Amino acid sequence: MKLQLQHLRKQYGSKTAVDDVSVNLTPGVYGLLGANGAGKTTLMRMICGVLKPTSGSIRLNGKTIQTLGERYYTHLGYMPQDFGFYPDFTAREFMLYMAAVKGMNKKAAKARTEELLELVNLHDVAGRKIRSYSGGMKQRLGIAQAELNDPDILILDEPTAGLDPKERVRFRNIISDFAKEKIVILSTHIVSDVSYIADTILMMKQGKILLQGPMETVTESMQGKVWELVAAEQDAEKYSRNLRVVSLHHEGSQVRLRIVEDEAPAPDAHNVEPSLEDLFLYHFSEDMQKEGSENDEISG
Amino acid sequence: MKSLVKFEFLKILRKKSTLIVMAASLLITAVFFGLPILQFQIYNQDGVLRGTEGIAYEKEQYAEISVPLTNEYVTDTIREVQELFADPDNIGYDGNEQFLIDDAYWKGIAPREDLLGLIAKNYAAPNVSVGYNALPDLDVSNGTDFYQARQEKIETILNDSSKGLTEKEKEYWQNMNSQVEEPFQYGYFGGWEVIISAFELLMFAVLAICIVIAPVFSGEYQSGTDAVILSGKYGKTKLTTAKILAALLFGILAFTLHILIAFALPLTAFGIDGWNLPLQINGTTVPYPLTFLEGTLINLGVIYLVLIAMTALTLFLSARMKSPYQVLIVVMPVLFIPMFLSPNGTSGLYNLLVFLTPYQSLKPNFGSYLSYQFGPVVLDAFTMRTVLYVVLALILLPLARTGFKKHQVS
Repeated sequence: MKLQLQHLRKQYGSKTAVDDVSVNLTPGVYGLLGANGAGKTTLMRMICGVLKPTSGSIRLNGKTIQTLGERYYTHLGYMPQDFGFYPDFTAREFMLYMAAVKGMNKKAAKARTEELLELVNLHDVAGRKIRSYSGGMKQRLGIAQAELNDPDILILDEPTAGLDPKERVRFRNIISDFAKEKIVILSTHIVSDVSYIADTILMMKQGKILLQGPMETVTESMQGKVWELVAAEQDAEKYSRNLRVVSLHHEGSQVRLRIVEDEAPAPDAHNVEPSLEDLFLYHFSEDMQKEGSENDEISG
Repeated sequence: MKSLVKFEFLKILRKKSTLIVMAASLLITAVFFGLPILQFQIYNQDGVLRGTEGIAYEKEQYAEISVPLTNEYVTDTIREVQELFADPDNIGYDGNEQFLIDDAYWKGIAPREDLLGLIAKNYAAPNVSVGYNALPDLDVSNGTDFYQARQEKIETILNDSSKGLTEKEKEYWQNMNSQVEEPFQYGYFGGWEVIISAFELLMFAVLAICIVIAPVFSGEYQSGTDAVILSGKYGKTKLTTAKILAALLFGILAFTLHILIAFALPLTAFGIDGWNLPLQINGTTVPYPLTFLEGTLINLGVIYLVLIAMTALTLFLSARMKSPYQVLIVVMPVLFIPMFLSPNGTSGLYNLLVFLTPYQSLKPNFGSYLSYQFGPVVLDAFTMRTVLYVVLALILLPLARTGFKKHQVS
């Protein structure tokens, strides 16, 4: 199974949402990281065939989406970001409806629906209208529908957005269960989610793939750029304003800071082992400042 | 495909807004078609009879006059009225025209006033409104040919220059008229009269159905479900067809429910009497050789086609617009602006087009001699509307399908 994105580009007027993206994907979990507006959702929509690229092509095992037609979609499971459900359907009806849209036969659809509802822990409430579901329950139902046809390519766009920490852990585990022998592309701006389950990181910025590599080595480029230092409170505030501060820990009258910078922020700062979060902050600190409140989630 | 249609149908049906809109629309229909029953009143010498009591009384009166309108019968009837007018004691005068009073009216006229009006109008000039009191002016000393008079009146209508009919059109209408059976069988047709005169009120039902199906495609875009269904195997193929079929199925079933109410109320109260009587007993110059039932069914067929075409228009817009509200902003004027467009005749492009608008197409216009000529081909209003709305549906439904198929999630 090989999914090739070749020179993918999507232009909206003068704005380029996705700019010349070329990636070869084989089975594994890909964490697609980027700030809001980086082009992640646009890229995923193009992969899912619901948005036409301005140029470039998507090939599955060497054949383009256009050549494969309906057959391409049988390989696909997609959970879009913030997608609405049909509030007047029960979860079971919704699953059976999606199974019909995916072309599954009735018997297989029923069996798979029950299996998945059990797996995402919605079986007991499967007869309830979706309008009564919490955000977390809807997200679980969202991933269950994406898995209905046991797809080879599973695309999850911000699947953990809006979930509380407990729900996020539960969700990550569900995704890990589904990920075996599939190409899973998981888009998020919540770094901790991908750091737990992704094998490969794809980092997007302004429509381009900024960085890609295995989870274990992707942070290597950050060696020597992550610093820790202990400073007085008034100095800590100065550092926060002027530098990329990943975390702050108050220790009595002192503050322990983790800073991502090319140069040592202070003579007594020492290098520490870089993490994915450091890498993200290094590249997206400006975008994150614009996003305001979303910063809390990234550093949390 | 069956499951997809079922689920799409359920999607439409389950919405609370569907139930509210349908309940309101059914209520409006019931009120419109029930009002003539509640408001019905008929007078006799003892006073006024209302509602079902009045209807029963009127039907009793009609029993006496449910006869073939032969020339002999018409002549005798006219003479009877003339004899009543011959006695000055029977006559009243309102400063404008003479009329019969007391027993002469209540016994000689009231039980058959509609019939007398029909006869009188047959001899009057087109578009001139006359009543039984025009009958004494007729010379029936040597009898009368009721049907010859009808034919002459029709020729006057066809040759009226303001109608602007071509020779081909005149020939078309003459041919149609020649198929009208004579003599006309007269009788009671109260229920059918109510239905025929209120057909255009079904526009509210058409609107309600358009409101309900407006979100079929645009609702998916609005709620963000478009991405997930379009990435399914059948999202761009069978699902699109299923959505269209479900919308049409809903539209037809919901409209049929309205029709059942609209027809059941008057036909229960007034009875189905008259179903096999000719349309000409409600206006002698009507050219269509049809009974009330046939005329009603033909017009109903046209109305169903208008409904299907309006459903197709709604779906077409729904597939191309981002929200159901935008769809309705376009659909509502299409349905309701023609209500305020009054044709000032039956000729000229403007009038001919106005008669083809959805609202005007709900009206049967049985006696209007409304025709459309394309080269050597002449089409009456029913055929023209049928062709137009079938063509519209055949164009718009595939366009709706393509619209959803090509929709870009963004």
